[in-house]
Amino acid sequence: MGRIFEEIYVWRLPVRLYHWINALCTVVLFVTGLYIAYPLFNPPLGEAVFYKGMSWWRYIHFAIAFIFIANFLFRMYWAVFGGDKYARFGGFRPWSPSWWGTPFREQVASYLFLRSEEPNYVGHNPVAALAHFLFIFCGSSFMIFSGLAMYGENNPGGFNSVWFGWMIPLMGGSYTLHWAHHLMSWIFPIYLIMHLYAVFRHDVVDRTSVTSSIITGYKHKVEEEPT
Amino acid sequence: MQSNQSFAEVFKAGGVSRRDFLKFCSLTSVYLGLSPSMVPTIVEAMEKKTRTPVIWLHGLECTCCSESFIRSSHPTIEDLIFNMISLDYDDVLSAAAGHQLEDVRRKTMKDYKGKYILAIEGNISTKDDGVYCMVGGDSFLNTVKETAADAAAVIAWGACASFGCVQNAHPNPSGAVPISDIIKDKPIVKVPGCPPISEVMTGVVTHFHTFGTLPELDRFGRPKAFYNTRIHDKCYRRAFFEAGQFVRSFDDDATRKGWCLYKMGCKGPTTYNSCSKIQWNGGTSFPIGSGHPCIGCSEPNFWDNGPFYTRLAEVPFLGSDSNAYKIGVIAVGAAAAGAAAHAAVTAVKKAKSGSEDNDKD
Repeated sequence: MGRIFEEIYVWRLPVRLYHWINALCTVVLFVTGLYIAYPLFNPPLGEAVFYKGMSWWRYIHFAIAFIFIANFLFRMYWAVFGGDKYARFGGFRPWSPSWWGTPFREQVASYLFLRSEEPNYVGHNPVAALAHFLFIFCGSSFMIFSGLAMYGENNPGGFNSVWFGWMIPLMGGSYTLHWAHHLMSWIFPIYLIMHLYAVFRHDVVDRTSVTSSIITGYKHKVEEEPT
Repeated sequence: MQSNQSFAEVFKAGGVSRRDFLKFCSLTSVYLGLSPSMVPTIVEAMEKKTRTPVIWLHGLECTCCSESFIRSSHPTIEDLIFNMISLDYDDVLSAAAGHQLEDVRRKTMKDYKGKYILAIEGNISTKDDGVYCMVGGDSFLNTVKETAADAAAVIAWGACASFGCVQNAHPNPSGAVPISDIIKDKPIVKVPGCPPISEVMTGVVTHFHTFGTLPELDRFGRPKAFYNTRIHDKCYRRAFFEAGQFVRSFDDDATRKGWCLYKMGCKGPTTYNSCSKIQWNGGTSFPIGSGHPCIGCSEPNFWDNGPFYTRLAEVPFLGSDSNAYKIGVIAVGAAAAGAAAHAAVTAVKKAKSGSEDNDKD
């Protein structure tokens, strides 16, 4: 094994906090959401007032959803005003032809095994940035907007109904909105698999300790084994 | 044809004396909390204001809306058509028929230009110039355009006229479209349902007749008074939903206990209507009250959001056994398989390059 010769502080505390709160919220939201769609357990027979077989799942889903939203907004704040080199939007410019240029193509080629050399990035590589934009930014935004629209349905004319209710006709009706919320929730387990795989693979291939970096904040550069 | 009478004339014809008519107007002002100086205004309105002329057209439909309409109890249908509206044209309810009736429609359109209400039941076939729905020798498409041109407002009765219903469900062979796709320049009130509740239908007409304006509408153009809340939010079985007490099959014990029909595909949580408030047939019952899940008939494209007895819709372009859950599971499986394959290739390449390096050494 090579010797560690450089430590780089990549993920600052706000980013790490966001990451783990987001991870936890997403898992809880997905599980409770599935349960709301497919309630499995039947409470024992008796009066309905004694049981909360459905309302607890819904309560947890809604409560965690608001934490998820707050965390997401915090991350947006940090991306724009944080002045954090590795956590800002600045590096991601899909509208710019230069962004689709060499670095992006090199990274794609490397993932497709068309290049033997692995480009190495301290922060997110261009493909990772695109994946995060699609799955985390767009995906979370859709889940937040559709979720709040559905949350507002029980209080017509209320805040959520007024500000997010436009999602309902946009998606063609309350039913199709629910359906889209269900379908889109699956991007999170898909993302999780891809994310974990990519992180572990980079850790093995590049030896940059990317897995532990989201706990410690540090990535390491390792000296090549002396030949 | 009897010309449209004012209220004073209706009262007179009914044997009410002038003296009693003025008494009625005075009492009305008292009930409304108006000052005595307003009495002449009321008298004038009652003498001049005529019943609202209504032309009721039938397109591609099953007439269930009319069947519902004539069963209204508050207000009763007699009260409505004798005292509030003048139902000048309705090819299902009229005694007249044929050219005689079509002449009545044209006469009403001329005499009450820009003042009559156009009520449309059923939707419009547009494919092949609308040849799949011919009424009175012309396509319904032309009749609707012609009649709507001078209407004050349009009421779209039922799921057909509002959103399309079964006629424009996939694959929509006759090119059926809701009224709002054809009539763009008139205010349209959508009163969806298959059929709509009778009191909702008469309520909408009463509102227009009383205030002279259309009721406040929601984002889908439905009157808020009746379509503002979901079936689910007013459902008497909501307690069982919150408790997680669900019917799992139509012959289980939970069915007899009247538990929540959520797992049986009830569309109550996504359906805006008044069934769980007003109920049907003068408050007798409503589908969930009779142990059947709501099918969501007042929502757009409810036929395509089927099947009725499962919670989640199939995805039409992916075959008849697909839903969000199955698609999700397959996609997650594919992602896992992809990651595994990628890992395998990485390992092989690494092993190869490693051996090459060793060879070099």
